Amino acid sequence: MKVCIIDYGVGNLASVQNAFALLQVDAVVSDKADDIRTAETLVLPGVGSFEAGMNGLTDSGLIEVIAEEVMVKKKKILGICLGMQLFATTGFENGEFAGLGFIEGSVVKIDDTKENIRLPHIGWNDVTVVNGHCIGKGFKNTPIFYFVHSYHFMPKDIGVVAGYCDYGGEVVAMMQKENIFGAQFHPEKSHIDGLQILRNFLSC
Amino acid sequence: MLRPRLIPVLLYKDGILVRSKSFSFHQSTGDPVEQVVRFTEWKSDELIYLDISRDNLYNSDQGMSTVGSTSSKREHEAYHTENFASVVKAIAKQCNIPLTVGGKIRTLEDVQIRLKNGADKVSINSMAFERPEFITEAAEKFGTQCIVASVDVKLDETTNRHEVYISNGKVATGLNPVTWCRRLEELGAGEILLQSIDRDGGAKGYDLTLIKKVTEAVSIPVIALGGVGNNQHFVEGLEAGASAVAAANIFHFTEQSVIKVKEYLSSVGVHVRL
Amino acid sequence: MKYCSKCTYPIIAVNLTMSDEGVCSGCIVNEEKLKLDWAGREREFQELLLSYKNKDGKNYDCIIPVSGGKDSHYQVWYVKEKMGLNPLLVTYYTHNYTKTGEENLKNIGKVFGVDHYVFTPSYKTIQKMNRAGFKKTGDMSWHFHNGMNTTPFQVAVKLNIPLVIYGEHGFVDLAGQFNFEDRPEFTARHRKEHALRGYDWYDFVGLEGLTEQDLLWAQYPSDEEIAKVGVRGVFMGLYVYWDGNKNAEDMSIKFGFKPNPEPFERTYRLTSNVDDIHENGIKDYLKFVKFGYGRCTDHTSKDIRLGNMDREEGIGLVRKYDHVIPRKSFEYFMDMTGMKEEEFFTTADTFRDSRVWWIENGEWFKDNLWGEPSSYGKVHLPKDAWSKYIRAK
Repeated sequence: MKVCIIDYGVGNLASVQNAFALLQVDAVVSDKADDIRTAETLVLPGVGSFEAGMNGLTDSGLIEVIAEEVMVKKKKILGICLGMQLFATTGFENGEFAGLGFIEGSVVKIDDTKENIRLPHIGWNDVTVVNGHCIGKGFKNTPIFYFVHSYHFMPKDIGVVAGYCDYGGEVVAMMQKENIFGAQFHPEKSHIDGLQILRNFLSC
Repeated sequence: MLRPRLIPVLLYKDGILVRSKSFSFHQSTGDPVEQVVRFTEWKSDELIYLDISRDNLYNSDQGMSTVGSTSSKREHEAYHTENFASVVKAIAKQCNIPLTVGGKIRTLEDVQIRLKNGADKVSINSMAFERPEFITEAAEKFGTQCIVASVDVKLDETTNRHEVYISNGKVATGLNPVTWCRRLEELGAGEILLQSIDRDGGAKGYDLTLIKKVTEAVSIPVIALGGVGNNQHFVEGLEAGASAVAAANIFHFTEQSVIKVKEYLSSVGVHVRL
Repeated sequence: MKYCSKCTYPIIAVNLTMSDEGVCSGCIVNEEKLKLDWAGREREFQELLLSYKNKDGKNYDCIIPVSGGKDSHYQVWYVKEKMGLNPLLVTYYTHNYTKTGEENLKNIGKVFGVDHYVFTPSYKTIQKMNRAGFKKTGDMSWHFHNGMNTTPFQVAVKLNIPLVIYGEHGFVDLAGQFNFEDRPEFTARHRKEHALRGYDWYDFVGLEGLTEQDLLWAQYPSDEEIAKVGVRGVFMGLYVYWDGNKNAEDMSIKFGFKPNPEPFERTYRLTSNVDDIHENGIKDYLKFVKFGYGRCTDHTSKDIRLGNMDREEGIGLVRKYDHVIPRKSFEYFMDMTGMKEEEFFTTADTFRDSRVWWIENGEWFKDNLWGEPSSYGKVHLPKDAWSKYIRAK
């Protein structure tokens, strides 16, 4: 199995699977620890609130195996949207909650006090690729991705940022830290540019 | 910067896509999946796919629609199956842009089935009026980002007042769209799909007053629908405050229609995704 | 089976829908057709044509796909004689043309003084495509539909001619599939889904030994090629009031168009579909096998809407013609493909639509426009495939 899409009761897993199918990559949706162990790569999708996401992961009993595969065995993982946010140390959505802590940083609300900034941030936004990370390679023009979120990731080390978008200020759009990859946008819903991100993830 | 969204709307009825006139006469535009593939290729920013079947005739073996063909039926039966979920599944496979599915959503299970089969968002209309807390329950369970509240509005020409209608535009509710949209936001809707009934199919442009009033009143994104007859109408809708502009007929009958509209929008300074 | 209360169409007819009042989309659209501002539409069309006229005279102004029939004559007359454009005629010409069809095709270039691009695939390929088309789609003329809807666009892209002008929009006219308001144009989707029944050339690679090289003529240009030249395919019948019977009369008096010299086996009209031997023949018989109606239903529905006959008369004609096996075109097909009768009828049976047909006492039954169901002969389908055709009593 090439990709295991982790099912922890949150998010639209079918879209992620469909996108890998378009790339003719074998991806399985699973909530089983064995599948997470045997898969070549992992995807942590997710929509909804930080708290609900962490509760889902806790209830699924998968945190330990994911942490071991990612942090100890250095298996590649791609967090999508909430999935990426859960990599943070702390989330500040409706309270304060501990995250997985794979990438040091916190998740806070986008500043919506400026004019024309509506939340959620829904739609297609340009992403400026930075720091030359592998996940952001292969774009001739500025890539455009589909976003749906109200909170964003503020990493402690900005070196892990692979791309920003502009929404009332800089918003982290993608990240890479060794074997850990994150996309705040939805690559599975971002047409050709999105598929390029999935390709990059598989080949990085 | 955030790009304004251009959204084709597709109507599904009894196994085929249709063009609707006055909510009663429907003409076949063809296969339920093929056009989704084309719209995706043509760089639509999102698709809205609405089920308006009346009798749960999802199986073309029971329905009489032949899906545009004298001979394909023997081999092309894959998605002419038992229910709307299988249609959603078939189109989601081909659609790697956001997909909103609407029509006949009355329970949390209805939402779940659509999302599970690949929809990214659901649009909810009559149920929000019948039981407003349904929006809250759905938003809590699936996230506000996937709950699109659909609001159909008619302008009474004699009194010059807007009113919200439900049940495919047939039943008046007495609600003012501004108050109602504000309430929907509080209830947990992530977006508003604002459709003007009297503008529908008229090709005279959006109801700009309505769009202005609603977008000023809510802070969630508003998708405008109903009345587009030419490219300039999209520009007007965006200028009136809509975050996304949607239409049906203008996209269905010409080659590379979405691309051509986007080229136009870009030429007049609207920063759409090309 | 539900039938339209005004014409002779069953609700299952291709691309048809029905209103709550039981009137078919074809009749509704034809009524709307009478109320349109045709003068305004024609002006719109003429402006469109003139906007494509070459200023420097260095290229053709447009392409007119022609089969050679009455409508082809009318289109060329309109564009060339009336509007003064310089069109290039394009024909996908096959070995299935009738003698009259051939004479008409030669006539059209001669009387109007226009250049004519005629493309013919290899005879061997056509033999194979007749066989493969029949077995795969239940339509031996699939290659013909493909050619008519592909060759003009291959030429358009190669010669950089952006405008392609078709005549009547067949699906609008027969089934009322589209609305005049929408001014539907030719699209790749229209070609594949409607004209080619959901198949494309690649579905035939490997059948009867056909290779990709055999099917180069059947490949529609890419989206990029179409966009680069800005190719648009428009249907003249959406802008200019179309009356096929009148076109036939005018064109035969003034320009020598010839109707079929002898009656067809499957319809009473002599001026429609005269070009291809199978169009009013075995290809159309297969439509009856699939959906239980044929060309005579098409023609009577049109003539009832035009006021040329009443519904009763139409029903009588459908009863007389729709089920007839056209021997002439049948034998031509069997001769070309070397197929045996039993194989033909067994294969044909696999395309029967279970919403129309059922099996009783080893015979095919269906509902009829005039009332009581009746038998249409012996079932050739092997018994293990009967189950979906057995209806509960």
